[in-house]
Amino acid sequence: MRPTEVFAPAEPPADGQSARKNQLAVTLRVNGESVALQIDPRTTLLDCLRETMRLTGTKKGCDHGQCGACTVHVNGRRVNSCLTFAVMHQGDDITTIEGLGRPGSLHPVQAAFLEHDAYQCGYCTPGQIMSAAALLEEPCGATDADVKEAMSGNICRCGAYPNIVSAIQDVRSER
Amino acid sequence: MTVSPAGSSVPRIEGPLKVSGIATYTSDFNFPGLLYAVPVCATIGSGTIAGLDTSVAGSMPGVQAVYHRANIGRIYRSAPDEGLGTHLDERRPPFEDDVIRYYGQYVAAAVADTYEQAIAAANAVKVTYDAKEPDVRDQLEPEGQPNLDGERGDPDAAFDSAPVKIDQTYSTPVETHNPIELHASVAVWDGQDFTLYETTQGVVNHRDVAAEMLGVPKERVRVISRFLGSGFGGKLFPWPHSFIAAAAARDLNRPVKLVVSRDMMFQNVGHRPRTQQRIRLGAGSDGKLVALMHDSLNHTSILDDYQENCSEATPYSYSTPNFRATSGLARRNVGTPTSMRGPGAVPGLYALESAMDELAIALGIDPVELRLRNEPNKDEGLDLPFSSRHLVECLAVGAKRFGWSGRDPRVGSMRKNGLILGWGVAGCSWIAERFAAQVAVDLRDDGSARVATATQDIGTGTYTVLANVVSEKTGIPANKIEVVLGDTNLPPGPISGGSMVTASVIPAVSQAIESAQQRILMAAIETEGTPFYGLEADALAFSGGIVHRKNEGPERGMAFEKILAKAKARSTSGLGKAEATFGSEDRKFSQHSFGAQFAEVTWQPEIARLRVSRVVTVIDAGRIINPKPARNQIEGSVVMGVGMALLEATEYDARFGAPINNNLADYMVATNADAPQIEVTFLDYPDRVLNDMGARGVGEIGLAGIAAAITAAVYHATGVRVRNLPVRLEELLA
Repeated sequence: MRPTEVFAPAEPPADGQSARKNQLAVTLRVNGESVALQIDPRTTLLDCLRETMRLTGTKKGCDHGQCGACTVHVNGRRVNSCLTFAVMHQGDDITTIEGLGRPGSLHPVQAAFLEHDAYQCGYCTPGQIMSAAALLEEPCGATDADVKEAMSGNICRCGAYPNIVSAIQDVRSER
Repeated sequence: MTVSPAGSSVPRIEGPLKVSGIATYTSDFNFPGLLYAVPVCATIGSGTIAGLDTSVAGSMPGVQAVYHRANIGRIYRSAPDEGLGTHLDERRPPFEDDVIRYYGQYVAAAVADTYEQAIAAANAVKVTYDAKEPDVRDQLEPEGQPNLDGERGDPDAAFDSAPVKIDQTYSTPVETHNPIELHASVAVWDGQDFTLYETTQGVVNHRDVAAEMLGVPKERVRVISRFLGSGFGGKLFPWPHSFIAAAAARDLNRPVKLVVSRDMMFQNVGHRPRTQQRIRLGAGSDGKLVALMHDSLNHTSILDDYQENCSEATPYSYSTPNFRATSGLARRNVGTPTSMRGPGAVPGLYALESAMDELAIALGIDPVELRLRNEPNKDEGLDLPFSSRHLVECLAVGAKRFGWSGRDPRVGSMRKNGLILGWGVAGCSWIAERFAAQVAVDLRDDGSARVATATQDIGTGTYTVLANVVSEKTGIPANKIEVVLGDTNLPPGPISGGSMVTASVIPAVSQAIESAQQRILMAAIETEGTPFYGLEADALAFSGGIVHRKNEGPERGMAFEKILAKAKARSTSGLGKAEATFGSEDRKFSQHSFGAQFAEVTWQPEIARLRVSRVVTVIDAGRIINPKPARNQIEGSVVMGVGMALLEATEYDARFGAPINNNLADYMVATNADAPQIEVTFLDYPDRVLNDMGARGVGEIGLAGIAAAITAAVYHATGVRVRNLPVRLEELLA
């Protein structure tokens, strides 16, 4: 299947009069590129990524920090992007799933998720992968139980947990 | 040539898009001029709207419109249809009247330039109500006379005179699907046609319903769902938010995105209804059933009759000469229930299999042995032979793999690492049927194929399974097969429900390939320069992508793409159509999948810690097309089953009718740390009554029986029989 079958237009956002009122300037560093934005202070980092920057790989599952689907890296640490406002991240280094790896140059965690079938519907997957990639740098114990505990902030309602654990352990064993 | 036929565990073909964030789900679609809609929900569970003031909301920054009953325009009702044709569960269009029948019912919707502006405006809509006390009681009593769903023999007399009896009532709570993808609609209106990007498990049905409710011909509506963040039944049928988005897009002549929030998903997009099931089992001292009665009730909404069908699997599960099943509804001030993974059979088998466990204990017979003694040799409900039933082997294989022979049946008698162990078993079953399906297959001059049908992949692996099936039938490697789904412009395909997509599409794929191949044979005999020019088509055969003479092997043939090239054709296209078996009156076999669930729990009474530690599942689901996603389906069902048994229940506030645990912290689903060690075994008995590959679906059966196996294990560990799910620790603290 080719990605061309999936229509994902990348036009700039709607630019109505009202959208400019009461906005703040902020410069984010997203996936290595600096982006200067005028943004509503009420906008979460998640909605900024998805609706303003059109980086839709980061998903919204609860908007309450309860499911982990929106996990991104802020200065190398995993963060629920729905629980933080975009304007709070002036100058922060933000990495999203789009910045982690693309088909043809997948990050080892992405490749392991593919190999281990560590997903079903794929919706929580970007968040799972961002959590897992951050976990590699965290002081996490060696056992499956340690990984399960450290990954329990990311809900997979499809229940692909056994394969998520095996994918992560596979990557950790290679390091 | 790398061939990836069915039966091999190839990675999902859409996997690279999913792991890199490229896969496009409904709310990922964005268009120039896009507006955001946010609904306003009723804050009472019963009553009427007394006043609705949008004056403040309507004048807030960026607000384009605030819709409600008086200004949304006409949204029609979709008239009833046969079976699951043109179906939706909540039939009332949004804002149809001022009556509030459940907490959270949509009463208005704000549409603004940005999401933040729309939320602020929705919060500023002032609604006053004449409130009545809602009825959200758990205890169910039937409205009118229950339906008689099936009867044989004289169950009352047989039960009364049975030497050993079980008469217990089991209940299951409201469960909310909670796919991690929020329900969403992105509606685009171009002045004439709607394009609706929808979170749907059925693009064709959604198109048909939407056309009727929006009052336009079907041809004016296109529904797209390329990727679905799972549904578990909650996205089978349209919900009111879709029509709010479409009506707003038409009125404003701008694209509109409406994402249903997590809390709204506890109100406005269905749930598995509460069930209350009385099971009566009468048995001889030899353990043979002489009577089985299953009387079930489920709650439904004020306006809609949703039947959970709890006794679906009961008539054929065990042999008994005397049987009766009845069902009834109890009306409550709740949103309309809908199908949730394994509707009917999943709550029904929790009750039946729990009662079987209680009967085994009453008889002093091992619960595996009790099931073997009651194995039927035909479907006694339909009086038909089974197409393929291997429950006995599932139990035997599962018992061996689990180590069941080491079980000490005495309560609390088994220990491991200082923990009390509990072991339990249950059988499971699910229907094996087909929906009608049409599939187009193109064979192309670069040696590739394209397969297209308007079904959708909800995470179960449909993209990959279709590639596997076409690969096996054509010899084309799976990585050269393009699969296109989730678009009503494609030939109509089935809803992703009932675990039926795989079985449904296979006959249509076969026919489409035969048709496309036949046209290549015709091109071969009519095109100069092929070795077959001037021959009769019936002298030729098609093997592994090679056209050759029937009396010669493919090594002397020609690849189909070369024939297409010589004929100067880009492709040949074949269309296959297969009829439904689901709902058919004319059947010669009872068709079902079967399985056995073995569960181990650990119990630490000192700190009241209960865990499911190990599950062994053996599934008889015909031939498995791709073991990788199939195993994942069963493992995922078991994980969901841990939630069903121990964690999940939607609780309603009796004063206002609100689902009070309407978020993923208070409505607990199984997390990674809750997932037990899971071992899945598939028996491999192709069911060729269903289709030529003998394949059934595996999306639901793994959730059947698992809650009963876990509660049986809980009894074995603690001596407490939980008949009201989920298991709550306080019930175990005697």
